[in-house]
Amino acid sequence: MVNRKRFTFLLMVVPALVLFFTFHTYPAIQGIFYSFTDYKGYGVWDFVGLKNYLNVFQDGRALSAYGFTFQFAIVSTVLVNIISLLIAIGLNANIKFRKTLRATYFLPYILSVLIVGYIFKFMFTHLLPQIGDALGIGFLSSNILGNPDLAWIGIVIVAVWQSTAFNTLLYLAGLSTIDQQVYEAADIDGAGSWAKFWKITFPLVAPFFTINMVVAMKNFLMAFDQIVALTGGGPGQVTESISLLIYRGGFQGGEFAYQSANAVIYFIVIVAISIIQLRVLERREVK
Amino acid sequence: MNKIAKGLLTVTLGTSLLLAGCGGGDGDGGNADGQVSLELFSNKSESIDTYKGLIEKFEEENPNIDIKLEAPPEAETVLKTRLTKDDLPDIMSIGGNATYGELARAGVFHDFSDSELVGKVQPSYVEMLGKLVGPDEEGTYGLPYATNANTVIYNKEKVEELGIEIPTNWDEFTQALETAKEAGETPIYFTLQEAWTAMSVWNGVAGNLVADDFAERKNAGEATFAEEYDEVADKMLELLDYGHKDNFGIGYGDGNNAFASGEGVFYIQGNWAIPEILKTNPDIELGTFALPSHDNAEENNLVSGVDVALAVSETTEHKEEALKFIEFMLSEETAQTYIDEQKAFSAVENVFQEDPVFEGIREHFEEGTLTSFVDHYYPAGMGTENLVQDFLIKKDKDAALETLDSEWDKVNDR
Repeated sequence: MVNRKRFTFLLMVVPALVLFFTFHTYPAIQGIFYSFTDYKGYGVWDFVGLKNYLNVFQDGRALSAYGFTFQFAIVSTVLVNIISLLIAIGLNANIKFRKTLRATYFLPYILSVLIVGYIFKFMFTHLLPQIGDALGIGFLSSNILGNPDLAWIGIVIVAVWQSTAFNTLLYLAGLSTIDQQVYEAADIDGAGSWAKFWKITFPLVAPFFTINMVVAMKNFLMAFDQIVALTGGGPGQVTESISLLIYRGGFQGGEFAYQSANAVIYFIVIVAISIIQLRVLERREVK
Repeated sequence: MNKIAKGLLTVTLGTSLLLAGCGGGDGDGGNADGQVSLELFSNKSESIDTYKGLIEKFEEENPNIDIKLEAPPEAETVLKTRLTKDDLPDIMSIGGNATYGELARAGVFHDFSDSELVGKVQPSYVEMLGKLVGPDEEGTYGLPYATNANTVIYNKEKVEELGIEIPTNWDEFTQALETAKEAGETPIYFTLQEAWTAMSVWNGVAGNLVADDFAERKNAGEATFAEEYDEVADKMLELLDYGHKDNFGIGYGDGNNAFASGEGVFYIQGNWAIPEILKTNPDIELGTFALPSHDNAEENNLVSGVDVALAVSETTEHKEEALKFIEFMLSEETAQTYIDEQKAFSAVENVFQEDPVFEGIREHFEEGTLTSFVDHYYPAGMGTENLVQDFLIKKDKDAALETLDSEWDKVNDR
């Protein structure tokens, strides 16, 4: 009996494992392998040792891409978590049209990032400058996506607008795990709503805060679509994210091996950040 | 962390962390009842209908040859992937750019050197393709077919209203721009939100000012941007003074619409923008001329490149039939059909684009006063377009030229 059960479980796992290995692990290993060569994506290649890795560290374009990506990811992660927690608390309260509102707030997540990006691009190009002109606000009267100092803010707005939906969903799931009796007890003790939030709600959704921080950070560090739709990495190269750089250099520029090295480094960086986040944030969760 | 949270984390993080490569299509030339099947690979989605019409005609004339058209998205990536699998299409219709050069150097194309077909096309374009391959490989690995032009498109009505004569040198051009500016018009409609559109200006200006062998000498370490692009950079900045108020806020699509609805007198773009502008406003009257960046009118050539080059796989089993198709394509009649439908120009001798929009540049094609797109010879990995866009924003000439120099060297060192 036991063996048969095991066999069934095995049967369920093996196809997924095979698919995952062929389409994910194997290409990843291949990428790591090629990062030690001078492979252009086709043709002959030679081993070049660590040359690609050393070049990445001296590449000003790669370093500025790292700088932009981190600035963008940190700001967006903080904003997304604040906004989605607020929305989740609002949607969890006993309000009218709760279900309709929940669906509405989830809508941005279903839309394609590219479509959202192009719509926002239209607004930044045509609507916002008109508003800026009408109100006499100087920096708004031209397209902010064309301004090297402001373009990244446009990308943050789109990224936050879209990904708030998913994080709100996670927070809603978290809020529904909190036992209402705890609040009733707090009411009897005469706790105000501010105290209830900091002493009960926030500590009890802390595990969800942890995932949301990790997931949001990881997603923003890999930002690609929003940037392609909005600025294409410009003006100049100020909004070129690392994913975009890897794609551009690797597939269009014939630097497959070099950008593979960049991807490997970036993979390590993202894993390291995720682990640090998990460690730090888990420590302050209530057990 | 509780269990639900952990489960969610695994699922969401499980979605790929690493970038993975992508694969391409396949296809095989089969043989049944003396029927030969050939695959024609094209990198242009715009020309699918034209090709279908031409193929039909060819198949009528040659009932034993069956041609299958393949025009996938991301065509160049697909072609490179198929190269790794030794599965090249029989006939290829691809752009005359760095990818063509790479494939030709890989030795996978049939050499047309001894064929009489070479005589049917304009030698300047054959040379252009040869330069993409580089000096190390002798031979003609592709035949230029359709070509494009980097032009200044102008709004005929406005130009006539302002009394502007079509400029033939730099002085006349800046005077024309000045006239437009004084009349309260936008002289040049820039679309620099999209970096690649900066290259239309760059190629137009540099095409007549920089020596043809710059890339070759730069690779050999004998030339620098700082020395040879000084005038180009100055003239770029001068042109920028004649833009509109939000040069970096408007992209290509919006620019086409704006120009079509009468904003701007001049529009520096390739011939490919004309159908787009006419789509928005079919009634607008347009004209074109070559950007006169040189002070001397006689030195001003038209920047033109190979938009479509035809190549045949070296290893195809049906080379004879494939060459027959190339011959059919190069006939004057077919070439004329192609450029009429595609609003392109032909590399085939004696075939000219008769559309009145191109009246101003026809002379260049007839006399062969053509020069190439300078950036086709830059290393693809250096991201020139964004560097040029950055230069136009910051307007710091010396720093920008230095960056171009160092990025070029860096990419070549990898």
